[in-house]
Amino acid sequence: MGLEADVAQLRRGDLDALSTLVSRYQNRLFRFLLRLVRDRSEAEDLFQQTWIHVAEKIRRFDPNRNFDAWLFTVARNLAIDHLRRIRPSSLDQPISEDESQETGLDRLAAHEPAPLDRILENERASRVGMALDELPFAYREVMTLRFEEEMKIEEIAQVLAIPLSTVKSRLRRSLEQMRNSLETRYAGENWR
Amino acid sequence: MSESRNLSVTEHNKIREMLALAAADALEPNESELVIRHVRTCPQCSVEMEQWQLLSRGLRQLPTPQPSPDLVQRTCARAEARVIDERENAWNRRVMISLVLFAWALTLTSWPIVRLVSGGLLSLLDPRLNQSWLGFAGFTSLVWLTGGIAAVLLARQQRQERSLA
Repeated sequence: MGLEADVAQLRRGDLDALSTLVSRYQNRLFRFLLRLVRDRSEAEDLFQQTWIHVAEKIRRFDPNRNFDAWLFTVARNLAIDHLRRIRPSSLDQPISEDESQETGLDRLAAHEPAPLDRILENERASRVGMALDELPFAYREVMTLRFEEEMKIEEIAQVLAIPLSTVKSRLRRSLEQMRNSLETRYAGENWR
Repeated sequence: MSESRNLSVTEHNKIREMLALAAADALEPNESELVIRHVRTCPQCSVEMEQWQLLSRGLRQLPTPQPSPDLVQRTCARAEARVIDERENAWNRRVMISLVLFAWALTLTSWPIVRLVSGGLLSLLDPRLNQSWLGFAGFTSLVWLTGGIAAVLLARQQRQERSLA
């Protein structure tokens, strides 16, 4: 069954559709939240809160709108509220050097026995992931929506409620900051 | 000659600033076309573009972190419980409002009916009966207050039982 049919079913109050939707979005939404809050258990809690909110407010959702954009907007707003309560500084500041040493991706990689030929690939991903984690909140969200969620610029603007030109300038600055960070950290060696 | 050189330097600088966005596929089609044409003829921008594309590729290939295996079940259970709770609350609200309206309607209509049925006999028995609406209203309020307190206590007990379950 398609996404629209599942959403329509949930709007009619059928809770079976909720489970289908949660399964459909579990990886994407969890990844997005993990990028924003940088803590696994907080991301899982926000994931649950997002779906509770969706289940409660689905009747207010306009079916003519993009469900992805609505869902990610809900998740983002909850993440911002959460960070404002728990770590207000993390909304503006990049994380400290110590905190950034081990990312969620590193922890995952550490538990997965990777074949030798994938170690380098993992290492590269870990470096890029680490540089991404170090970006300020406003840059991280735009990067993950563009490169991981593969949202269009218009959709990102809708989720973040900012003009297209701001999305583009944030995207450009985030890429520049990431590249600078990687080139500074791995000067003399190939970070790629 | 110098003018065209200046123009191409300006264009070069302008396009160089667009390379990061070009690698992120975030340009308008016409801007994208402009960048592609320039990169074909400019070795400096071509190298720079390659760097941005490598970074973009790295970002697109980041592994997807997996949530706990039981997260979906936990989420659905929590959301369903909340929705059922909300529905129950909404139903209780509707029932309560209907009962209140019905009770008030009954209360207000009962007085003229009593007067009509008794044929005004009651007023003969009690000369102060015309002013007794105050006592009647007080009695009704007392009954409502008792009923309201009982309803609140019952709702609290029900909520406690549900949270323990």
